[in-house]
Amino acid sequence: MTGFIIRRLLSISVTFIIVSILIFTMMHAIPGGPFDGGEMPLPPAVREKMMAQFGLDQPVWVQYLKYMSGVIRLDFGVPFQSPGETMFSLLADAWLPSLVLGGLGVLIGAPLGILLGIAAALHRNTWIDYLASAVATIGLTVPVFVTSMLLILIFAVWLNWFPASGWGEPINWVLPITAYATIPMATYARYTRSAMLDTLNKPFVTVLRAKGLTENKIIYGHVLRNSAIPMVTVFLPMFIGTATGSIFVEAMFRVPGLGSYFVSSIRTRDYPLEMALMLMLTVMFCVAYLISDVAYALLNPRIRYGDRKG
Amino acid sequence: MTALLTTPMPPAPRQRGPLWFAWRRFRANKAAVVGGIVLGVITLLAILAPLVTKTGPNDQAFLTENLFPPSWDHWFGVDDLGRDFWTRIVYGARVSLTIGFAAATCSVLIGIPLGAIAGYYGGRADWLIMRVIEIFSVVPPLLAAMLLGALTQGGFLTIVVIAALFGWVQVCLLVRAQIKAFKEKEFVRAAQALGASPGYIIRRHLIPNAISPIIVGFVLAIPLAMMLEASLSFLGVGIPPPTPSWGQMINVGMNFMYFYWHMAVFPTAALAITVMATTLFGDGLRDALDPTLKGA
Repeated sequence: MTGFIIRRLLSISVTFIIVSILIFTMMHAIPGGPFDGGEMPLPPAVREKMMAQFGLDQPVWVQYLKYMSGVIRLDFGVPFQSPGETMFSLLADAWLPSLVLGGLGVLIGAPLGILLGIAAALHRNTWIDYLASAVATIGLTVPVFVTSMLLILIFAVWLNWFPASGWGEPINWVLPITAYATIPMATYARYTRSAMLDTLNKPFVTVLRAKGLTENKIIYGHVLRNSAIPMVTVFLPMFIGTATGSIFVEAMFRVPGLGSYFVSSIRTRDYPLEMALMLMLTVMFCVAYLISDVAYALLNPRIRYGDRKG
Repeated sequence: MTALLTTPMPPAPRQRGPLWFAWRRFRANKAAVVGGIVLGVITLLAILAPLVTKTGPNDQAFLTENLFPPSWDHWFGVDDLGRDFWTRIVYGARVSLTIGFAAATCSVLIGIPLGAIAGYYGGRADWLIMRVIEIFSVVPPLLAAMLLGALTQGGFLTIVVIAALFGWVQVCLLVRAQIKAFKEKEFVRAAQALGASPGYIIRRHLIPNAISPIIVGFVLAIPLAMMLEASLSFLGVGIPPPTPSWGQMINVGMNFMYFYWHMAVFPTAALAITVMATTLFGDGLRDALDPTLKGA
């Protein structure tokens, strides 16, 4: 097991380095620079001096090595849009809204989805099964900005129950959290249902019934445990979906979170900020990938990572 | 040999091909049938766009009526620049569906050979392709797409390329799994023993046997590409403005939402309905063609 984790860790680090190189070169390949200034162009001499000051006159690979050596010391550079601050102080304020909204969205959505999936599998072809399928289809197929738009239209514009945008009061949180929660809820409703149905049809369930176990014991002690594996595997795509959904949710509800920086940093060619955000997300995804791999191995004793898996 | 096989055997019971069973399974799935019909209607509207609309998509023919709500003359109202909104939505379907189909075709064209190589040869080639897929699975697709969109200034072709770049992974994995399952079968062994080259075996034996997952991968790649296009256009790095795109219209509609609801509701509904219909159709097709893939 330890060997497996170390091997995955190595492989994921290589992936991380490749991804960081790709993002860095792509970012610098976008035409235009941070100091071009659309309406008020800087004089060429000033521009050149600023480029030199931030090391932008050097070849890209030198810049990359410099940046990454900073990252190892947890120095993510200076954001061009507010050079007086460090990356940490700029992002510290933006972290909170994203974490609260996204975190609550997953914490509310995932259990709801799992419960819905269980209920749907246990009461097949009843209204609750249809409800679960509807939730799963809508949540997985409708882009999150469309969901957000419908939520705003219905609950803010027409019914006027909740404010459409803003941040601070908990009442502002209701709609964005609902928008966030649709992704984990739909993902889990769908996969829990199909995993439960798969397990319920296995012969061992019949054996348990024949042994005279109560239905509750069968479901909560055996079926649920055996259906947990697919739920772990969907954690990664669900997590990625929720994290990238934040860009749209935050744009729609005007939440001052990290999501807004993604769009603005690309638009203003704020290289250090862009890179810091991308690296942060990539690290998060790599860790999620690793966790889901390890959890998969822990939950399923039939899988032994003795040799390379196919 | 073939003549011998096809000579009719008089008392034989009626033979039902696998397609007949697939069609029966598909028909039993109401959601998929409805999805297919809706998708068909939208596709027809998109193809016949000039016939079902009165003006061109960019004609500012109704400037005096701009932002008018839906009426008999303008089924979906008029937008902020005096363009008939029904026309815009119908032409938006053209953009969305073309990108969906083009991107899905490209995904399949990239995914099949890579999946076939990974599945048939295994070993080092498989390892390499799986690592590439791993890279694609830890890069957030939308963010990378945003970067690429900014890099290439958006545009029709770019979106197709970006969508294909992230769409082939699914097709590749499906094909790889299918080929891995089939390459040890007797008929493949027999072909190998007769000296057939790997390329021939893959082309003549393995890919025809992987046709259901390929069709499924193709249909399921369409809604993903449409969603990607809408998301990028919504953020302003997708299809550039005069061309009608639903994502773009939703972005504009957001600013008018409080007073002119039609600007937000119609593109939102159009996108949601199209993506949902395509997904339901694709899911139904998957369950019908290959019941063992269910829930994959």
